[in-house]
Amino acid sequence: MGSRVEILNEGGFRSDGRRQYELREVTIDLSQQGQADGAAVITHGLTRVMVSVFGPREAKSRSQTIHDRANINVEVAISPFSAGERRKRSRGDKRILEMAATIKSTFEPVVQTTLYPRSQIDVFVQVLQQDGGLLQGCINATTLALVNAGIPLLDFVCAVSGGVYSTSPMLDLTLLEENDLPNLTVAVMPKTGKSTLVTMETRLHVDRFEEIFKLVCSASHALHQEMKDAVRVRTTSLVTAMGTTQSNVGGDTMMDES
Amino acid sequence: MRPPSPSIPEKEFLFASLKASLRLDGRQPLQLRTPELTFGPELGWVECALGKTRVLAQVDAKMVKPPPERPFEGMVSIHSEISPIASPEYEFGRASEEEVTMTRMLDKVLRRSDTIDKESLCVIAGQRVWHVRLAIHCLSDEGNMLDCACLAGIVALRHFRRPEIEVVGDEVTIHDPTERAPIPLAIHHSPFCFTFAFFADTSIPPILDPSHLEQRLSAGLVSIALNAQREICVLQKLGGVPLAPDSILNLVEIAVSRAKELDRLVDDKLKVDWSGRRVEFR
Amino acid sequence: MSIILPGEHVPARHVNLKLGPGLLQLSSPDKRRGIADEGLGIISTKAGTLHHSTNQSKWWIENNSRRYVPAQQESVIGVIILRSGEGFRVDIGSAHTASLDGLAFEGATKRNKPNLKIGCLVYARVSLAHKDMEPELECFDAQTRKAEGFGELKEGFLVRCSLKMSRLLLDPKHFLLPLLGHRFPLEAAVGMNGRIWVNTKEMKHTIAATRCIEAVDPDGGGMDERGVKEFLNALDVE
Repeated sequence: MGSRVEILNEGGFRSDGRRQYELREVTIDLSQQGQADGAAVITHGLTRVMVSVFGPREAKSRSQTIHDRANINVEVAISPFSAGERRKRSRGDKRILEMAATIKSTFEPVVQTTLYPRSQIDVFVQVLQQDGGLLQGCINATTLALVNAGIPLLDFVCAVSGGVYSTSPMLDLTLLEENDLPNLTVAVMPKTGKSTLVTMETRLHVDRFEEIFKLVCSASHALHQEMKDAVRVRTTSLVTAMGTTQSNVGGDTMMDES
Repeated sequence: MRPPSPSIPEKEFLFASLKASLRLDGRQPLQLRTPELTFGPELGWVECALGKTRVLAQVDAKMVKPPPERPFEGMVSIHSEISPIASPEYEFGRASEEEVTMTRMLDKVLRRSDTIDKESLCVIAGQRVWHVRLAIHCLSDEGNMLDCACLAGIVALRHFRRPEIEVVGDEVTIHDPTERAPIPLAIHHSPFCFTFAFFADTSIPPILDPSHLEQRLSAGLVSIALNAQREICVLQKLGGVPLAPDSILNLVEIAVSRAKELDRLVDDKLKVDWSGRRVEFR
Repeated sequence: MSIILPGEHVPARHVNLKLGPGLLQLSSPDKRRGIADEGLGIISTKAGTLHHSTNQSKWWIENNSRRYVPAQQESVIGVIILRSGEGFRVDIGSAHTASLDGLAFEGATKRNKPNLKIGCLVYARVSLAHKDMEPELECFDAQTRKAEGFGELKEGFLVRCSLKMSRLLLDPKHFLLPLLGHRFPLEAAVGMNGRIWVNTKEMKHTIAATRCIEAVDPDGGGMDERGVKEFLNALDVE
């Protein structure tokens, strides 16, 4: 399968025309979706993920409450039309459950859950189109949706995927590349540079791993910049809509600092 | 039924003693519990015990018709379900989060990392292939059931011998193990899984092979599966306390050295068991 | 002192017969063959060793189990899991969670109730244990109404063991606690529900005490005195 399409040719171009370390185009849409307290739609190239956040609100069942923290409940749904072939995935599918558990444990140390004991924060992830980098898209969209919902976070969480083609590391893989190459996804908190999520499912030599790991960590800063710009644009438009009588001088200097 | 969380004195004592690098069972922070492998009378039956954590693995193989999209490869499937026998935390029928993580991890380590050469399982292309089934039963959970299950699985696969077959044209004769010595599976590499636990207080060093209480009170787990040839098969840090990239690379180095030791131990145990079995040559 | 299995006939006869745990008096005459008995027979319901008092008026069966069944006037160690209304719900390892009233402490009044957090350990006495009701606990001595050691247990560590082990530790003639106390200063509270709280000045002492208790536990090997001495020497407890 891989021999038909060149992953990386001699000119240094990949199958979709990108260079080795180039990320796909990112578009972020933070407009309100229905009843959700916060929502975000992110696209990485052809991968599109939508996340809605509700909360903090009263928990559905008392058994799920924790007495001193909020419970984060994540549900992932992959649309049957999202992949090349139409395929309906049941809710109990282990892969989907694992992705939900991953997203939940990624955000548990980041969201300030101690501020809302005995309540629940619901995160609903809907995958609309998948072309590689699924976990990456879900995590980025969840971060933006949580920011949009006004839920206090310690920092952004930016995720980027990467892989190694023989000895050349590559960033932000498409589905074609993901199927053929060893790949990993890393989610990083940009302020401290620490990673909250690292997952790699294919065999890779330790030295190669070190290389690509460091590369992906630094690539997440570029993504962080994109996310910050999108949030800034949205916040500015909200602030101006809230009222022209309020002076915006103090607000602008604070946003420019970070 | 979720058991109640540990009491405050237990929590505080554990954090305080781990800060001083003292573990409750007297181990060093980066010391594994010595695995005890018991082989059953049948080939491919192994019980692995890490302290009080026990997992049973069993392998069997049968001939089936391959799916049309992959006529040249055999099939490997892993069946693992955690029943409440391991611990009252697990419910029968419904998969809890830990169970999903564990079964998916087992799948990735033992099946998706290509441990078994699937093409060698092909008998007649398009018509008959071997379907190797690995069943994992978790008997008791005293922490780190994942590592125990991975170890039991890979040892069972290495221990198993499939019957010898003879192909004449389109006919396949499966020879009974008493007639012809069964042959081992073609295994590319042996992955071993190592789980490190992290705590909310960053001054506490990571600990390898957490016990039940340590796992319960941990704020993050990192599982690294690799083989003795320095290849990482799976690296999983699903959320939990954020770690600097250097800490993670450090863990990889530690896992590499442990993998070499474990590989030697497993080799020795398998050799001892195999020499105890009678193989007649006619 | 013989080993007995469930369903075996027990030759207990006395004017004032008292049956302890594991023995049952049949409600209808025992019609089994080979039992020459005119009255209602006594059979055993548990597997263990049969014991009786010197004057044969009290009979009981001693066995080992891990699950605690609450019985009146027994001291137990519980973990607070909820604050409900006036009191607390405490997990003592039995089938039901026990309730501990906020006023059941020494010197507690309506205005001055103890402020126990969720997750605290308490040493309490079972004041009510009936099979149809959930157990109730109190944190003071029945006669004197004073704390006498009951109440919140701060610091230290909790060890879980079998019920037989906690009974052994409560026996003043058992060797383990004095042996440990000889080596290092030690504070311990033994709950009849298979939980033991230990507190020492140094962490390694607490860990040594924990490991010794687990080693001497009949479930975990049943080490004897000599074995414990060697174990302690190997553990480097100065």
